[in-house]
Amino acid sequence: MSDTRPVRSVILRFALRIWVVVLSFAVVQGGWAWHEQWRLGLVVTGMSDQLSWGLYIGQFVFLVGVAASAVVLVIPAYWLGIHACRSAVVIGEALSVTAVSMALMFVWVDLGQPLRVWHALPWLGTPNFPASIMAWDLLVLTAYLGVNVGLLIGHGRGHRKSAPLSRHRLFWFVVATLLGLSIHTVTAFLLAGLPARPMWNTGLLAPRFIASALVSGCAWLLVTGWILAKVGTWRMPEAAGRLLTGVMTGALVIYLFMGISEWFVLFYHPTAHGHGAGMLYLGWEGKSGLTLWMIGSVGVQGMAAMVLVVRPWRRRPGVVLGMAMLLFVALFVEKGVGLIVPGLQPTPLGEWVAYRPTVVELRIAAAIWAGGLLLFTGLLRLLCHPVPREPECGSASTDGRCAPPRGPE
Amino acid sequence: MGNPESQSKEPRSFGLQTPGTKGVRGTKRYAMVIDLRKCIGCMSCSVACKTEYGLPLGIWRTWVKVVDKGSYPTTKRVFMPRLCNHCDYPVCVRNCPTQATYKHEDGFVLQRYNRCIGCRTCMVACPYNARHLLPEKRTDGNLPRMVVDKCTFCIHRVKKGLVPSCVQACVGGARIFGDINDPQSEVARLVATETVTVLKPELGTSPSVFYIGGDWEIMDEPHSYTNRTHQVREEFNDFKRNHKGDAFADIVEGEPLMSEVANNWYGYLKTIPHKAKETLNAFKIFLFD
Repeated sequence: MSDTRPVRSVILRFALRIWVVVLSFAVVQGGWAWHEQWRLGLVVTGMSDQLSWGLYIGQFVFLVGVAASAVVLVIPAYWLGIHACRSAVVIGEALSVTAVSMALMFVWVDLGQPLRVWHALPWLGTPNFPASIMAWDLLVLTAYLGVNVGLLIGHGRGHRKSAPLSRHRLFWFVVATLLGLSIHTVTAFLLAGLPARPMWNTGLLAPRFIASALVSGCAWLLVTGWILAKVGTWRMPEAAGRLLTGVMTGALVIYLFMGISEWFVLFYHPTAHGHGAGMLYLGWEGKSGLTLWMIGSVGVQGMAAMVLVVRPWRRRPGVVLGMAMLLFVALFVEKGVGLIVPGLQPTPLGEWVAYRPTVVELRIAAAIWAGGLLLFTGLLRLLCHPVPREPECGSASTDGRCAPPRGPE
Repeated sequence: MGNPESQSKEPRSFGLQTPGTKGVRGTKRYAMVIDLRKCIGCMSCSVACKTEYGLPLGIWRTWVKVVDKGSYPTTKRVFMPRLCNHCDYPVCVRNCPTQATYKHEDGFVLQRYNRCIGCRTCMVACPYNARHLLPEKRTDGNLPRMVVDKCTFCIHRVKKGLVPSCVQACVGGARIFGDINDPQSEVARLVATETVTVLKPELGTSPSVFYIGGDWEIMDEPHSYTNRTHQVREEFNDFKRNHKGDAFADIVEGEPLMSEVANNWYGYLKTIPHKAKETLNAFKIFLFD
């Protein structure tokens, strides 16, 4: 590979620039779209009084899940002592910073009066603690963002100095883990605590959220690892890849099981709880545009579960990668698109209100995704470009779980 | 409910919010009884409310739901006026992240406009769909914009000894307003002696709007979707509109739906220079005026 390296690196640098330019363009057009929304109000979105949450909050919930999944790597790397995963933790941290930022941006653009958001912050404003889950959610999300940014900075410094893990940093990793679990739980409670919305008003929502978050987060990390390996900047340790695949598979099976028990309750006997889900999965007098997407999503999940539980197939990187991409898309559809709107339907008045995101909404959402990817790219460029060395694994591995270190080619 | 005098209830808060005051001695708890046998569906209440508050086009704080039952010749038209239920345990107050929504000591559930961030959690939480978002464009720039708004039980009138505007305007005298904790009030008498129902009692909100003679097919929403007969036809869409309603679309320039753009993408592209100019103008005004 060394002989092709100069040409390759030129091409890659060029590709990176194109990537950054395209993403920046997406961000700028989204800023323009947001200005339109700011000028004219939320009337430019597809939301209405009856259906007052839409694409933005759906994306927010999905991204909170992605952010929460950084704990997948932190727990084994620092609690269970699988040292090979430590070099991958930085990717997880970068992902969580990115996803939390995107989630907060989605909340921000959803607000009618975004400049007043400080009213919900402690000390500055008058947050409704401890009653309002929304206030809790904003608080834990901000805290999670702060802790992860701190850890990333620490990681950058510690890596340069090759410093061993201090007790101080371990403490913050524990905090990050707990916060990571709590952000998604609190987001689930935000929806599950509403008696007016029978589809969400279930105790299984939070565990389901966590399970699906693990699946989508692991999928993102696996795809990122593959891209970075292709680009040649960084290679994910094999132990980390195996771990991510294993967690993804296990979480997916649990998620599907919880989904089946949920669907049983929803569909076995027709109650108010089943109306939204009925529209979502089966359609209701032709009133759903999402039916095919949802059935496709569930089909993909089932297929992926069947493929991934077979160990020889799970060992094949190509299969795992394909499944990870499919699962990410499937969960994006199920959670990012299919969770919020059917939960609000039928409305408490028994109405069926059509919701389709408008162009402004789609443009803003695209801009936030582009901004997130830009941030993620930048973080990876900063933190992963010099391949992280692993002093623990460089010598003869003692526990046998360590993958042989792979440096830059 | 029972007769408030016979109980000596302590205020309960469930640990998370202002205590409920219904049936608690020494407190006021304003409530409304709506006698559906007397409602003729004239919509005077909606109009009176609208004029009282100068609400924007398409927004109603109280509206009358209309349902046609049965088929000719056995048919009936049923009305049900709706408004905020001013619950004793309001879900919206519990969910508001900034305490913009709060419960007044006399039982009114009110909104502080200046503190509302427009997150619309209360609208999602409300089991009665009684809340609406005020539009950004209003005739008077000093009016609240892009915040959630709701029925106030006309607290400004009640504090001066008047009844709410909708009660004042009700032709058939179907709406009765008063302090339910005062055993001498007509509201307390009606609730104690008539067969009253409330909307969605199973949600634990303890509503303060009671209905006499409520019809199951009109009150049981949305459960009745699976149960009701096919002859039932609902028309409430015409009476509960919102800032996104058709009436509003002519006035505020909206964005087209995605399908419209897909069908006419060239037309959409052609509008972009115009919009860019508008945006630049807006920035210019913001910066230099």
